[in-house]
Amino acid sequence: MAKVRESVMRIVFLLTALMSVLCVLFVCFFLFTNGLPAIAKIGPLDFLGGIKWKPESNEFGIFPMILGSLYVTCGAIILGVPIGILTAVFIAFFCPTRIKSAVEFVTSLMAGIPSIIYGFFGLTVLVPLINDVFGVRGKGILAASVLLAIMILPTIISISQQALEAVQRSYFEGAIALGASKERSVFFVVLPAAKSGVLASIVLGIGRAIGETMAVVMVAGNQAVIPESVFDGVRTMTTNIVLEMGYAADLHREALIATGVVLFVFILLINMLFSILRSKERVQ
Amino acid sequence: MNKIAKTVIAVVAVFALSACGNGSAGSNSADGSITVISREGGSGTKSAFEELFELLDADGNGLTVASAEVTSSTAVMLTSVQTDVNAIGYISLGSMSDTVKALAIDGTAATRENAASGAYKIVRPFAVTTLGAPEGIAKEFVDYILSPAGRAVIDENGYIASGTESDIELTATGNLSVCGSSSVAPVMEKLKESYESANKNVKVEIQQSNSSTGISNTIDGTCKIGMSSRDLKDSEKSKGVIETKIATDGIAVIVNNENAVTDLTKEQVRAIFAGETVSWKDVG
Repeated sequence: MAKVRESVMRIVFLLTALMSVLCVLFVCFFLFTNGLPAIAKIGPLDFLGGIKWKPESNEFGIFPMILGSLYVTCGAIILGVPIGILTAVFIAFFCPTRIKSAVEFVTSLMAGIPSIIYGFFGLTVLVPLINDVFGVRGKGILAASVLLAIMILPTIISISQQALEAVQRSYFEGAIALGASKERSVFFVVLPAAKSGVLASIVLGIGRAIGETMAVVMVAGNQAVIPESVFDGVRTMTTNIVLEMGYAADLHREALIATGVVLFVFILLINMLFSILRSKERVQ
Repeated sequence: MNKIAKTVIAVVAVFALSACGNGSAGSNSADGSITVISREGGSGTKSAFEELFELLDADGNGLTVASAEVTSSTAVMLTSVQTDVNAIGYISLGSMSDTVKALAIDGTAATRENAASGAYKIVRPFAVTTLGAPEGIAKEFVDYILSPAGRAVIDENGYIASGTESDIELTATGNLSVCGSSSVAPVMEKLKESYESANKNVKVEIQQSNSSTGISNTIDGTCKIGMSSRDLKDSEKSKGVIETKIATDGIAVIVNNENAVTDLTKEQVRAIFAGETVSWKDVG
């Protein structure tokens, strides 16, 4: 009897595990069967390399959007990574125990704030601020990058912190014993030892930034043209889809799904990079 | 440790101060390059605006300049214009708020009275769409909107009612789904409240997106009634969509309250949105 129950439960667990695998497979299937024919119809070069997005005249070039996604993601990484890693170092090594739990609570709270709230914050605070400080129109790459930098902080902080705390205590103690100061031990011994975990946190941050939609759509300006400066408006692949999916029909709709395919490939590459880094860490 | 904390505080303080300093110096009058703000492609306000200001090419495609910012709702449009002194955008006259300033067009102020009298020419229809002639509860709701009770609600909210039906007896029961234009939705909410209190046996559900989505949802049956703020396209009529005009709405061309400009000609507005005029200096 107990044996039967065991094997039944095993099947139940197997099925639940299969569910998520199946979901991913279904999404892949849907994306590629709908998107690839559109890419073929438009022409891969015209689609990926075309700089004009004019659905009403059947011009579907998503190069400005690919560039847009890369620009805002790079911006977010440049601004967010140093802050995130330094915060992780602070929490792991320099934070007084009295406030440590408070700091950890706040950073995890940051991860829980819905992206639309970040978007609203960006629209009402960041955009006017950029407008005032630089005397340019506020919406654009800079606003989106700053906002995304804030949004990827919790990811980078928590994973980097885990990586730093996983480094054997003897590394740190050894450095101290050799006469290095605490700062020197942390930055030149522990941080390099946690390198792959910290890199993994950056890769995950990139994934979050490139896939973010609702916050970006409110502060990016959404012009489907190649931006010339960090203050210019920009449209990312995600915002292109969310802006037009509601009313798109026929080839236009398929072109938006194809935009999703390109985005999916980017995410796939990023996640592969992530698992490679993770497996490296395990080997160490 | 102490040194680091002090440095961080100093940097933050310098940043905050410089932001404040520039902020007060930078709060300027509108003399820079114009920030053109448009709506997403499926918006009825956008297509009505482009039609009214002759921003269409021979094939009926919009000519709004590609560098225009794209916002995806009336609310984001209002906030964007409110926070950028150089911005220009457009919204439904019924959604006007005093956080922004409506420009007079060709010397006529954009007010409800002028739109009703026909002096203000920038007006468009508000319509409900159904697949085939409305039946049952949908018919009763449409008739209610056109009846004196419905007209009173429309007039109260700043639009010009166009119904002529007399009072009707309310007998329908059940649920009704209404979806579409975010410009029509505010008045539709009021109509829903009024209708539901007059007929306790019905429940109306309103979802807002944009005109094109509303119309395509009536075609695929997701909603019984669509809300539209533009004329039907031939492709939609051929699928059996019928529209019933319920009101007339003006479109207000809006700028920031600090902008000195109060009056533009129709041609000046067209040139701004076509990207031919790029600086406020050229229209002052």
